[in-house]
Amino acid sequence: MTADDYKVRVAKDLEDLIPVFMKNRHKELETLRVALAAADFDQLRQLGHRMKGVGNSYGFTHVSTLGKYIEDGARSGDRAALQATISEYDDYLSKVQIAYE
Amino acid sequence: MRILLIDDDEDLRNLLSRYIRGQWADAQIEAYDPLERDLPDAAFPLKSYDVIILDYILGRGDGLEWLKSLKQREDCPKILFLTGAGNEIIAVRAMKAGADDYQRKQELTREKLITSIRELTATAVERTVSPDLAARMEGHSLGAKVRIPGIKVLHMIGEGGTARVYLASREDDDEPLVVKILRHEIVLNKKALERFMEEYAMVERIQSRHVARIVSHGEYEKNVYLVMEFFEGGDLSKRLAGKPVAPTEALKFFRELMFALGDIHEKGILHRDLKPQNLMFRRDGSLAIVDFGIAKNIAAADRTGAGEVLGTPRYMSPEQVQGRALDLRTDIYSAGVLLYQMLTGRHLFDGETAMEVAMHHLNTEPPPLPAHLEQYQRLLDKLVEKDREARFRNADEVIGFLSRKFEQLPDQTLDLRQGNAAQIARS
Repeated sequence: MTADDYKVRVAKDLEDLIPVFMKNRHKELETLRVALAAADFDQLRQLGHRMKGVGNSYGFTHVSTLGKYIEDGARSGDRAALQATISEYDDYLSKVQIAYE
Repeated sequence: MRILLIDDDEDLRNLLSRYIRGQWADAQIEAYDPLERDLPDAAFPLKSYDVIILDYILGRGDGLEWLKSLKQREDCPKILFLTGAGNEIIAVRAMKAGADDYQRKQELTREKLITSIRELTATAVERTVSPDLAARMEGHSLGAKVRIPGIKVLHMIGEGGTARVYLASREDDDEPLVVKILRHEIVLNKKALERFMEEYAMVERIQSRHVARIVSHGEYEKNVYLVMEFFEGGDLSKRLAGKPVAPTEALKFFRELMFALGDIHEKGILHRDLKPQNLMFRRDGSLAIVDFGIAKNIAAADRTGAGEVLGTPRYMSPEQVQGRALDLRTDIYSAGVLLYQMLTGRHLFDGETAMEVAMHHLNTEPPPLPAHLEQYQRLLDKLVEKDREARFRNADEVIGFLSRKFEQLPDQTLDLRQGNAAQIARS
């Protein structure tokens, strides 16, 4: 990913919602790890679906993209792909830069 | 206004509440978390709400079941149902189960949410309906009136200059479909009506997987309609969203577009209005061209096209701007403009007015691609040549060029070879 891929623009009036949004994403990351360790593909699929829905809504398109990968990976039971996507999600959350406009 | 917001996702509840309060500061919103509360029982005062916003996936429940149950009550207010993108079959079932509107969550903007609530509560919230809203409401009621054998028209999803577009479903199996109903003012315009009917006749004649599949067409009580396949993957403009796509993906889409052009040109048809909104994706990622509203037989375009300027200025060929007789190289140019946009995320030419943009196609040299896209420069140059004699002559030539030049590149070899294999398998 390039540096630009980590930049997100969020509407100014949503600024106060972002701390809760980010906290929930970090919680989600942990839940994804636990679900993968337990091979709970149904939960992984649900979590991926939720990421897909909420990411774009807040302007975090990459969260939606990764959500789709997780949903697809859970459907096919592809543990390696899920592991790689969850690692990418971790990397993304640690580096994402938010600009309020 | 009072709104009941049923969604298991705290972030979406927060976001939707913020959007609503931004529009109606005194709105009372009850956030209802289905992870903590069961389906509202008979004692729950549904009547006290103007609108219910209900999500499909509720964490520990099925939104469709909740919808059916709520709609059985006489005091149930209007319901806006939220689905995930690519879940049109669920949207179809929701509308059949009584949902008054639906929105795809991934595409739910502030404006779409407010418009939807405004429509659902129009009589309660606004004593005077704005002309825009009145027009949309007229569109919704028109969809409900039109009867098409074996098809249920469900919900207006878009409006164009010539037609209103509805989500519909086949009654046998709930397969999502799209119904286009021509506007009355167009039906009264003989030339425009002929153009619409020509669109149907041409698309039906093509029979290619790269062109939207037509299910039926006809007339019901002076309403002219066209039923076609529904594209769950949306259109190219949504995929671009002002950004570039990865070069391998751009090339893949472009190659599909070339196959599409090859198919329509083979049938003697020019599209003449290629633009991101007219390139649709199916669930499996395949691409198809839609909207042949200004398409022409090549023979007819040669014969009568001179002097007629139709199309979208951003994607027009120089000869189109000049109103000259057209041949299939006009679509090749427009496809080149699309390729530039896919690779860079920018328009080939910008301007303050449509005329200014159009004139750039005639007089301005295209900007070079950024250095990291240099390998595509020769391809692009030959697509957007102002002199059509120097341009690729047809889609086959372009496909040949792609195969020769880009199969050598390691990161694209796989995609292109897969494309070839898929094409061979299809033919």
